[in-house]
Amino acid sequence: MDKEKIKMKNILVILLLLVFTSMNFGQVKVVATTSVIYDLVKEIGKDKVEADYICRGDQDPHYVEILPSYMLKLRKAELFFKIGLGLEIWAQQLIDGSRNDNLKIIDLSNGIEKKEIPAGKVDASQGDIHPYGNPHYWLDPYNAKIMAAEILEALLAKSPENSEYFKKNYQNYISTLDKKLIEWNSKMKKAEGRSIVFFHASWIYFAERYGLKISGYVEPKPGIPPTPSHNAELYNIIKKSGANVIVMENYYSDKAPNQIASQTGIKVIKVPIAVFGMEGIDSYIKMMDYIINNISGNL
Amino acid sequence: MSKQTAVFLLLLFNINFAQSNVNPDISLIGTFNTTTNFNEGSPYKGKINFEDPSLEMFINGYLNPYAKASANIAYHEGSFAAEEIYFEILRGLPLDMQLKGGKHLLGFGKINTVHGHAWPFTERPLAHRIYFGEEGLNDIGFNLSFILPTENFFSSFDIGLYKGDSFRGIGGHEHGQEEIHEDEIHEGEEAHEEFELNETNSPVISARLGAFFGLSDYSNLEIGLNGAAGTLGKAGLDNGLIKNVNFIYGGIDFKYKYKPDTYKSLTIQTEALLNHRDIINELEGAEHFVLGDAINTYGGFIFFDYQFNKVFSFGLKYDFTYGIIGSERGINSLANDAGNKTSGISGWFGYYPVEETLAIRIGAERLMFDYEDGTIRDDETMFKMQMIFSLGPHKAHPF
Ligand SMILES: [Zn+2]
Repeated sequence: MDKEKIKMKNILVILLLLVFTSMNFGQVKVVATTSVIYDLVKEIGKDKVEADYICRGDQDPHYVEILPSYMLKLRKAELFFKIGLGLEIWAQQLIDGSRNDNLKIIDLSNGIEKKEIPAGKVDASQGDIHPYGNPHYWLDPYNAKIMAAEILEALLAKSPENSEYFKKNYQNYISTLDKKLIEWNSKMKKAEGRSIVFFHASWIYFAERYGLKISGYVEPKPGIPPTPSHNAELYNIIKKSGANVIVMENYYSDKAPNQIASQTGIKVIKVPIAVFGMEGIDSYIKMMDYIINNISGNL
Repeated sequence: MSKQTAVFLLLLFNINFAQSNVNPDISLIGTFNTTTNFNEGSPYKGKINFEDPSLEMFINGYLNPYAKASANIAYHEGSFAAEEIYFEILRGLPLDMQLKGGKHLLGFGKINTVHGHAWPFTERPLAHRIYFGEEGLNDIGFNLSFILPTENFFSSFDIGLYKGDSFRGIGGHEHGQEEIHEDEIHEGEEAHEEFELNETNSPVISARLGAFFGLSDYSNLEIGLNGAAGTLGKAGLDNGLIKNVNFIYGGIDFKYKYKPDTYKSLTIQTEALLNHRDIINELEGAEHFVLGDAINTYGGFIFFDYQFNKVFSFGLKYDFTYGIIGSERGINSLANDAGNKTSGISGWFGYYPVEETLAIRIGAERLMFDYEDGTIRDDETMFKMQMIFSLGPHKAHPF
């Protein structure tokens, strides 16, 4: 009889403990739209977050198909981080499809100093994929610090019991990033004032950070595929500006850039602009290393 | 009616321009077709026929954090029609269910819920024309959608209750065509009109089980099982009984898409439909109907579409169905034809210079007819050129 009671008591204690542990030490379920956000979330949340992302690293983040499998990812998520500024036109449909009504959506563009916000009426004659300003702010590594701070804040609000853990990870990451910023600044020093042709208008934040001149884009307007007449225009721009590299996001076709290169002798550099966008690029820092080494090494 | 609609549209645009903060999304889709047939004996053989352009206006937006409302108003050959008007409760319901209510395209198979302008091909599949009608299955009712608790893949179950007019071949643009036919009825055929099924109020039930599999980062597969059942009407039989004329549709669909990068994709898609229905026959001289045996017929299609260089696509489709395409609907609708068959082969080439803002498609369809009584009918060939513009906010592509 007594033995039975003790047994029951033990089971109860174990059950309570289980409930308690699952409440306190449960991971925060996070989904990010892009792998860059995912990497920052993992750096700060480490094993206290269960993170996933939607857009593949080798995929144009403007165009993501509405797949039910993405809805499944969002179904149990608590936090959803996005770049914002209209980059993820696909995000709302995925959220709706997930039917998750406990999802907190955090737009990481909130704290960013936005560039290229259109003045006046926007219409499709300008190409309409950057209607709220340029969303490619993650290519300025100083903005990664702002994004990380925003992510930290959201994780703290969701899981206050892990606040010390998140803050410590955040500080470690920021100090690593700060060291990298010094290294990148010095590597890019010699690029200051140089002219570069880019493929898509992803590069304004990066270029202004390092004092690069954007002499032109391979796309005639953001999101509009290259045309022969625009290529001809670029040919003249390249001659005039003395640009010696075309930097392109690696998910675009290099047909037009290679054509321009064969006419002008300009060098084409393909870089990933997302984590996992290329073999071996498994973190934001490695991605920026790759971009900066390739640009600074080729100017 | 069309004047009222025009005023309504004007009002709507005014509201849209006046309010700057909470705007519904509005898109306009314009379609302009030219057709050319190559049928022996046709007075228009080889000539270009310029069809009236048609316009569709899609309006949708959130009503609140839980629900959305959508409307699709179409202008076609001089008249306006509300193609779709519905609301959706997206979240917040028990069991994570979604509720859709109003007039909308039914999720029976994959193609039916996609508007024609977004198909890679130019002609509605033959089996849809016979079993769903020229405008597809578009009905008034409710749909409940559930996500099933499968861990490793997405699966869903939908069940809906509909008025059933589109199954019975009533409503839509076809109404207009019926009226024309009535005018053309010859004296001798007048008795025909008496042989109509009496209307029924019993709704049609429609359900779908869907499963989606991510095969790799670049390829996905969706499979669906569909079913619908209901009563087409009541028939007064020669023996004095009133009989419910029932039908059951069963269907399977399959879609595979491989998209290795931004510039290329291959889609392979198929749908098949099985039709089981009660048959009543008219007998010469009889005052009422005579009950016949139930029939089982079927139809379906398979196609591939290959997109290359981002802006071009081409594809081929094979269609087969019971029933003769282009026949007039009789008392029992085309879907009752268990003797005659139509098959078709079509091909197309599409050009999409900037996403979906402009689309130009050239398509050809060859129809082959097989009559039970041995009637010989020449194959029919039609070329179509289709130009579509899409004005409005960018939308992401659903699988
Ligand atoms: Zn962009």
